[in-house]
Amino acid sequence: MADKDELSIEQILAAARQQDGGGDAVPVSETVPAETPKPAAKAAAPAKPGKMSVAEMLAAARVGDAGGGASESPAPASTAAKSAAPAKKPGAMSVADMLAAARGDKSGGAAAAKPAPVSKKAAAKAAPAAKEPAAATPSGPKDTASILSAARGGAAKPGPITKAEAAARAKDAGVAPVKKKATAPPMPAKPDYAKTVAAPTASTERRGFLVAATAIFAGTFFMTSALAIGFSSLAVTMLLWVLGTARFMFPNILTEPPTKFKVGFPDEYAPGQVATKFKAQFGVWVARYEYNGQPEIYALQSVCTHLGCTPNWLEGEQKFKCPCHGSGFYKDGVNFEGPAPRPLERFAIRLADDGQLEVDKSRKFKEEVGQWNDPASYVSV
Amino acid sequence: MHGHVSYEDFILQVAGFLTTYYLFIAAMNGLAAFYLWQSGRAKELFRLPGSGLAVTTVHVWLLVAGVFTILSAYATNGGAAALTLPQAVRDFADARMGPVVYTVGLLLLLSVLYLGRNFFVKPTVAWAGLNLSLLLMGISMTDMDFASIVMKPDNVPIVAMIYLLGFFTWLSASKAVQNDARTARGEVPLEKLDDEKVLVWPDLVYTELICMIALMAILFVWAILLQAPLEEPASTVKTPNPSKAPWYFLGLQEMLVYYDPWMAGVVLPGVVVGGLMAIPFIDFNKQGNGYYTINERKFAYCTFQFGFLVLWVTLIVMGTFLRGPNWNFFGFYETWDAHKVEALNNVDLSQYFWVDLLHTGRPKAADDAPMIVKIGYILLRESVGIMLLLFYFGGGPPAMVIYSKFFRKMFLRMGFVRYMVLSNLILLMALLPIKMLARWTVDMKYFVSIPEYFLNF
Repeated sequence: MADKDELSIEQILAAARQQDGGGDAVPVSETVPAETPKPAAKAAAPAKPGKMSVAEMLAAARVGDAGGGASESPAPASTAAKSAAPAKKPGAMSVADMLAAARGDKSGGAAAAKPAPVSKKAAAKAAPAAKEPAAATPSGPKDTASILSAARGGAAKPGPITKAEAAARAKDAGVAPVKKKATAPPMPAKPDYAKTVAAPTASTERRGFLVAATAIFAGTFFMTSALAIGFSSLAVTMLLWVLGTARFMFPNILTEPPTKFKVGFPDEYAPGQVATKFKAQFGVWVARYEYNGQPEIYALQSVCTHLGCTPNWLEGEQKFKCPCHGSGFYKDGVNFEGPAPRPLERFAIRLADDGQLEVDKSRKFKEEVGQWNDPASYVSV
Repeated sequence: MHGHVSYEDFILQVAGFLTTYYLFIAAMNGLAAFYLWQSGRAKELFRLPGSGLAVTTVHVWLLVAGVFTILSAYATNGGAAALTLPQAVRDFADARMGPVVYTVGLLLLLSVLYLGRNFFVKPTVAWAGLNLSLLLMGISMTDMDFASIVMKPDNVPIVAMIYLLGFFTWLSASKAVQNDARTARGEVPLEKLDDEKVLVWPDLVYTELICMIALMAILFVWAILLQAPLEEPASTVKTPNPSKAPWYFLGLQEMLVYYDPWMAGVVLPGVVVGGLMAIPFIDFNKQGNGYYTINERKFAYCTFQFGFLVLWVTLIVMGTFLRGPNWNFFGFYETWDAHKVEALNNVDLSQYFWVDLLHTGRPKAADDAPMIVKIGYILLRESVGIMLLLFYFGGGPPAMVIYSKFFRKMFLRMGFVRYMVLSNLILLMALLPIKMLARWTVDMKYFVSIPEYFLNF
């Protein structure tokens, strides 16, 4: 920075503003886009004689602006002019102008390569501040990047672009694709084999067809054999799997004892007796007692109506008692203590043809909905 | 369970345990005395007349340690049978003990502890209480029925947890009392004094490592000492008697005795979870953030401790130790007799109203009546209970505002919606003990009983 030849951008700008008359007091960090100097420096670094430097491009573009479209490449220049035109204010120099002017003053026009390191450093310094959008400045809607891109023959889109992008745009600009109108191509004439022919007269044609079909089929198969084998085996596997699952739903066992079973003759039951011998296998108490004053034999399901535990018959206290929450039921199955909300449930019972009692577990009878009056729920004695 | 062991054999087994047990308590007291002596926290109680020698708490706990050492030796030498509660005391305790005495008594005890917390949290008092309870456990252990319940492999950890819970409740209450005293003097809470930050490594990780190793050691010892409580093979037609849930669900199982399954198993637990989730929206008291306090959060503290200690822990203890075969209630020293007859003739409210009060019989539709008529009759039958519940939940919140200055302030502070959520949660919470007491005292089964549609409340 201390180098006299290399002035920082701030210094250059300050100098330029002094020349400009100080009419445009714009903060430096806002007017200098951080990205601009970098591509500029890169573009300028090779500095081949045939190529324009950034500053030259800028200057040329702006000259083109002022001169109403006089530039070396007419098409991009005119777009640049268009985009820049509305922002042009009389009397206000843009930053790029200032830069160009300052550089011209300082090192006599050949300083294109020199300011590069300077601008790099300055950009790095000003980077955080420059994040604030450059477009927000009142005097510089025409940012350097858009000018550059326009000069390089890019599209109308302003903003910083990479070198590769710029190159691609420059390339595309020459051979812009013309949009063709979509038109349907004319139908091709029907080929001979597709035309209706008279009925086949010879069997050779049929044989030919067979041969052709086999060939097509085999060809297709062998052409795509890997896929075909893979998918075929997958399909077969899935099918077997589904069938196996279906089979799984019907296991080869008897899940329950038969729902209908004989429990002996009615006279085997003494009045007031509760038979507990069927509980272990069938989950049933067969009792001979009375309900609503009527003597009858009935079968009670040994499942508590509270939460489904198995109560015990307590002979000493003449009640069913559940060990889980203490629900109690009278001998007729009606609940009277603990939390059980309903009486025990009855199974269907009937006198079979051989005179034995037969319990049918597939039918249940609930007292609270009056089903115990159903003759199927008891056997009168 | 214990019918096969003679009392003499049982005493021999217990004597071995009691020797270790009393020795452990003696060592505990000796360590406490040593700690007091070394830390210089011993308090002078009085001076011996004449010599002028100061008697401090160190001497007291050394004396206690000595007494327990003698007890230990005595228990070993066949004296265990003599170290017991008099039979008369045990019989009296069993006869008086019932669900009402147990729950109401515990509620009263906790209330006394709460009201006298400034006294009870003093280390000396708390330590004396711990010693007393351990001594009571020890001399109760010579009772066969007590021992068979407490020493069941299932229940040993629960006994340990009761003591653990007592310790943590004491710890928090003790800190809260100290902080409240400091606040009253205009000082900052203890936690604010010492808010120095520590490092995760090594401070936290090291502690966690030690805890992890200690826990592993405890699990090993536990697994070696206590046999797995296995039972007979499962059978669909035979339920063990008594059939108990895992210990942490015994509170729920006790609730199931008083409520319909869908109420006690689904609705009430759901309300508990929902209510806990609602606390941040209900609680507007910003005090007590980051330090222990009771005085600044009396309502929150009491509500939580009532819900946790009374409605949860108490019920777990009751379900574990006091519920025997057929889910009957048994005292601490009572034999678990599967044939104990308990008159539990539960009656629905509708029965009380229509049959006992009006002598008309419960309204009942004809069997062949259309469904709508049947439903109408059911509603008529249960109208008393339905109205009672509507009155409880509809009239409760406004009544609380009208008659309680505290809830009036809450209402003004919280606004309608939040207040209604709070008051209904409290009413629901209170309904559990109300229902339990109604069951125990007047054999109330269900306020609303519609078994036809599985609706019982």
